[in-house]
Amino acid sequence: MVPNDQSDEIATFLAQRAGNDANARRVAVSVAATCRDIEDALTPIVGTRGVAALLSRSVHVAGQTHVWLNEIKEGLPAAIDLQALTALLARQSPATAAACGGLLLHSFHELLVSLIGASLTERLLRSAWAPFMSSRPQDFLP
Amino acid sequence: MTSPAVIKRLATGVPGLDDVLGGGLPEFSFNLIAGQPGCGKTTLAHQMMFALATAERPAIYFTALGEPPLKMLRYQQQFEFFDSEAIDRSVRFISLSDDAMAGNLDRVLKRIVDEVTQHSPALVFVDSFRSVVLAGETDGHPDNGLRQFVQQLGMLMTSWQATTFLVGEYFSETDANPVFTVCDGLIWLRQSVQRNSMVRKMEVMKMRGQPTLPGLHTFRIGAEGVEVFPPASVANRGPADATAALGAPRLLMGVPGLDAMLGGGLPSGYSLLVAGPSGSGKSILAAAFLSEGARRGETGVIAAFEQHPNRSRSRLVADLIASGQVGLLQNPAADLSIDEVVFMLLRDIRRLGASRVVIDSLSGFELALAPTFREDFRESLSNLVTALAGAGVTVLMTSELEDRYTDLRFSPHGTAFMTDAIIVQRYIEVDSRLRRVMAVVKVRASAHSDELREFSIDADGIRMGAKLADHEGLLGGRPTRKHGVPSSPGGT
Repeated sequence: MVPNDQSDEIATFLAQRAGNDANARRVAVSVAATCRDIEDALTPIVGTRGVAALLSRSVHVAGQTHVWLNEIKEGLPAAIDLQALTALLARQSPATAAACGGLLLHSFHELLVSLIGASLTERLLRSAWAPFMSSRPQDFLP
Repeated sequence: MTSPAVIKRLATGVPGLDDVLGGGLPEFSFNLIAGQPGCGKTTLAHQMMFALATAERPAIYFTALGEPPLKMLRYQQQFEFFDSEAIDRSVRFISLSDDAMAGNLDRVLKRIVDEVTQHSPALVFVDSFRSVVLAGETDGHPDNGLRQFVQQLGMLMTSWQATTFLVGEYFSETDANPVFTVCDGLIWLRQSVQRNSMVRKMEVMKMRGQPTLPGLHTFRIGAEGVEVFPPASVANRGPADATAALGAPRLLMGVPGLDAMLGGGLPSGYSLLVAGPSGSGKSILAAAFLSEGARRGETGVIAAFEQHPNRSRSRLVADLIASGQVGLLQNPAADLSIDEVVFMLLRDIRRLGASRVVIDSLSGFELALAPTFREDFRESLSNLVTALAGAGVTVLMTSELEDRYTDLRFSPHGTAFMTDAIIVQRYIEVDSRLRRVMAVVKVRASAHSDELREFSIDADGIRMGAKLADHEGLLGGRPTRKHGVPSSPGGT
C-alpha cells in the first residue's frame, strides 16, 4: 500500500530514481514511465478514454499547486499527452519536477481510491506502483 | 443405444435461482440477461460471476458503452459477493469501449475473440450488449450485422467452451430480436410498480434442455446481492397427509382446559386459525402456544405483521425472542410477496429447527404484501399453509374478525377451509359486562369439544372458564338467562 503521505514519498522516489546528478529530465521520464504503467494497467479495464479522463483530472489537481502544469491541454482527451508532460517537467528544477510528479501521481491514486476503494485500487495498480512499494529505489532506475 | 450429451449444470450462487432455472445453469450455454435499466441485470451477472469463477474456471467481464467500468466497480463492490482479490486472478474486466465507439461490430468481435483466445475463459459476460448493438447500428448496417455478430459470437463462445451472458437493456420481449432466437437461455428481469410499491420479478423465458419454473418469480436485491424466491409450491416438499394426523402427537397450547377442548391438544403439523375481534385474546393465545413450546424445549418462529411490533408484542413473546427460542420475522414495508414470506419463514424454521410457527395476524400479513399480490391473497395464503404443512411445522394464525352477531364467520379472507383447526373467540354482553367466550369449531380428523366456554385474561394469560349453561343465545351477542336456572358463579 502506498503510504498516506505518499506525495512526498513519491517525490523522494522520483528524485532518487533520477539519480545523484538530479537531472529534471530524468525525473520527467520517470513520471511519464509511471503514467504509462498506469495506462497499461487500467486501459484494458476502463478503456483509453477512461484512463485519459482520470489522468487529466490528476493533472488539473496538481496544476492548482504547479500552475505551469496547466499548459497541458485539458478537455476531453482521447489520451494524455505524455510527451508534453515530460517536456514541461524537464523545464523545471529537479526538486520542483519531483514534487510535481509526486503530487500528480498521488492525486491519481487518491482519485482512484475515492472511486473504487483502496483494496481494488491497490490490486489494479499493483504493477504500476511497484517502484514506490520497493525499499530499494535504485532497483528501478531508468 | 444412444449416449446423449451430458449437460453439466452450474450452481449460480444466487439463492433460489437454481430452482427457478430448473437445476442450475447449463454449462456452455449462451444466455441473455435482459430488462429495463435499474432492474438488477449487472448485479445478477456479477453475483453469478464471482460465485462461478475460479482460477481453473476464469471469467472475463467485457464492458461496452453502458455503465462506465469505474462506476460499475465502485457500486458493485458494495455487495458482499464482490471479491477484490479475485480480480486479475479468476475475474478479468476488459473494456470494449474503444472498439465499440468505432461503431464496427467486426472490430468488437475481433477484440472479444482476441481476449478469449488469450485468456481461455470458461465464463464470458458482455455488458451492455445493447450498447454494442447500438454502436453497430450507427455504422449503417443494423440488423444483418447484428444477426451475424450474435451468431458468430454464440458459435465462438460455445466452441471455446465458455458459458456466456449477454447483458442488455431491452424494453419489450416481443421484439423480433435475433438475439432472442440465438440464445439458449433468456432471463428477463422486471420492476413492477403499483401505487407506492415496487416489486422485482424475474422470468426465465427460455432455457434450452431443462424444465424451468414458469411464470414470474419475485426477487430482492440486498447487501448480499440478488435473492430469488421460488414459488411456495417448490418449497413444499411433500404435503402433510391429513389422515396421518390421526396418530400424530399432539402439541399442548399452554392454556389449561383448551387442550381438552381440542381433543387432547393440537395435532402436530396442523394449521390452526384463531379468529376473533380486536382485543379478544388471539395474540395472547399465540404467545401461550409459543411459550408452551419453549417450555418443552421446542423452538418457534413468529411472523409479526403489526404496524407497531414493539408496542403490541407481549412481554412473553419479547422474552422468547430475546432468548433465541423464538425467531422473529417482520417487515413493516408493504413490499413482500408470498413467496418471499414463505422463503423467509422456511429459512428461520430450518435455522432454528422450529416446530411451532405463529402468523400474527393475517390482516397484517395482507397489508405487508405488495399491492400487486393482494388480489391473489386467498390463493397466496393457501400456498403458504401448504408450504408450511410440507415443512412439518404446526402453525397458528390469528385473524381479526368483526363480531357479527347475525352470522358465524371465522375469517374475513374466506380462508377458514384451508386450515385444519379453528378456534373462535367472541364478545358477549351479560349483565352490562363485556365477557369473552371461546369455542373449538373444527379439528380435522379428530374429535373435539363443541362447548362454548367463557374465558378471562389476567396477568398469567388466558384462563378457561365454564360453559355459560344458564344462558342461551350466546352467539347472538346478547344472551338471555334461561328460565328457571339459577345464576352461574361468573354471572351477576
